Amino acid sequence: MASTYTLPVQNLIDHLGRLPGIGPRSAQRIAFHLLKLPAEDVQRLTQAITDAKERVRFCSQCFNFAEDDLCPICADPRRDSSVICVVEESRDIIPLERTGEFKGRYHVLLGVMNPIEGIGPDQLKMRELVMRIGSEDVREVIVCTNPNTEGEVTAQYIGRLLKPFDITVTRPASGLPVGGDLEYADELTLGRAISGRRRLDD
Amino acid sequence: MTSRLYRDEAVVIRSYKLGEADRIVVMLTRENGKVRAVAKGVRKTHSKFGGRLEPLSHVAVQIHRGTNLDVVNQVETIDSSGRMFGDLDVMTEGLAVLEAIDQLVPDREPVPEIFRMLVGVRKTLAERPSALVVPAFLLRLLASEGVRPELDRCVVCGEVESESTPLVAIDLERGGVQCRGCRSGVGVTSGALALLRDVLDGRLGEALDRAHRPGEQVLDDPVVVEVASIATRAFEFHVERRLRSVAIFERHDARSDS
Ligand SMILES: [Zn+2]
Ligand SMILES: [Zn+2]
Repeated sequence: MASTYTLPVQNLIDHLGRLPGIGPRSAQRIAFHLLKLPAEDVQRLTQAITDAKERVRFCSQCFNFAEDDLCPICADPRRDSSVICVVEESRDIIPLERTGEFKGRYHVLLGVMNPIEGIGPDQLKMRELVMRIGSEDVREVIVCTNPNTEGEVTAQYIGRLLKPFDITVTRPASGLPVGGDLEYADELTLGRAISGRRRLDD
Repeated sequence: MTSRLYRDEAVVIRSYKLGEADRIVVMLTRENGKVRAVAKGVRKTHSKFGGRLEPLSHVAVQIHRGTNLDVVNQVETIDSSGRMFGDLDVMTEGLAVLEAIDQLVPDREPVPEIFRMLVGVRKTLAERPSALVVPAFLLRLLASEGVRPELDRCVVCGEVESESTPLVAIDLERGGVQCRGCRSGVGVTSGALALLRDVLDGRLGEALDRAHRPGEQVLDDPVVVEVASIATRAFEFHVERRLRSVAIFERHDARSDS
């Protein structure tokens, strides 16, 4: 299909279309929006992207985003270093921090095992996790990967990988979303909620 | 543009993230073959689909045929993937089965026999899992495609197995086993040959019962390991692609560590 746009416009649409979650139609809409903006606004946006790319890197310990060698969480001496919460991506740290329930440190895998796509432990920060268990004084690892098939495969794999260590490996209870009605729960979710039930007198 | 609803029975093969909260779900259906359809909002915690569209789920679906993409309208569980969900070996074996089907089956071409096999292998994985389930499935999948290795006579000279001419090798490019004099393929033990015959000649049930691991973490039988390697190579040779989910766990067999 021949492009109906001039080369620079088509080029912009192509680049935007490669971003996650942006389809061809959204790419087109964003491109047109950018072209209508004052030049200084566009300048600020490109500067923000360049700055972030230059200054942000991965924490050398947990692979969260960081401006220095360590991310703010790893650098904070008040965090409990005996508990590590394993997540798929940096963005998963935000909702966990918002709960206010977790005081330990994190480990970001930078992805999730997806055997069909050929993504195995070697493509993730899995070896680095094992090395942390060996060198830091870790007592518990909480595997907080997404509650879907890839997340579960990854969690089970980590459970097996860390078996030789004298630590507790846990997975957050998988249950019914608060605010939902039981009758709408699917069988997989409900089944797992039942098998992971807890005593009421705890 | 016409668009309409259709109903079918399906097993979910895989899915891809789409946009903010959607997924494109690839499933093998009984009547419409391999179908791709958008599940809107499925990644949200309060999605009406919940875990019903996870890989290996056996479901009844209602799909809206769109102009560009089909859209999943309703899903009811026939058998959830829950029974397989907590076991790493079973899950990875299930994913290997799904990958093989995804590679072999073209879109929108009804393959009722393969659908029936898929429903069967799900049941086997849930009820009597073993390291033999995936290799047996791959071999039978190939057989259903008309690709069945010759196991009883040398593919070069035609000699039937006997005391004096044992069949000692298998060459998948030449289509089967070979005697010592004609050997060009890799060696095969008589145990593996017997198991291959069991799998392909209607004695699969007994073979699966023997290979079943009721307890935890039994070290795999070397004959099963040999058959697994032959089955994987046969399948990869046929589709001319690697089975990625098998390759990942070949190198990382945590099973043997424990
Ligand atoms: Zn850090
Ligand atoms: Zn021969």
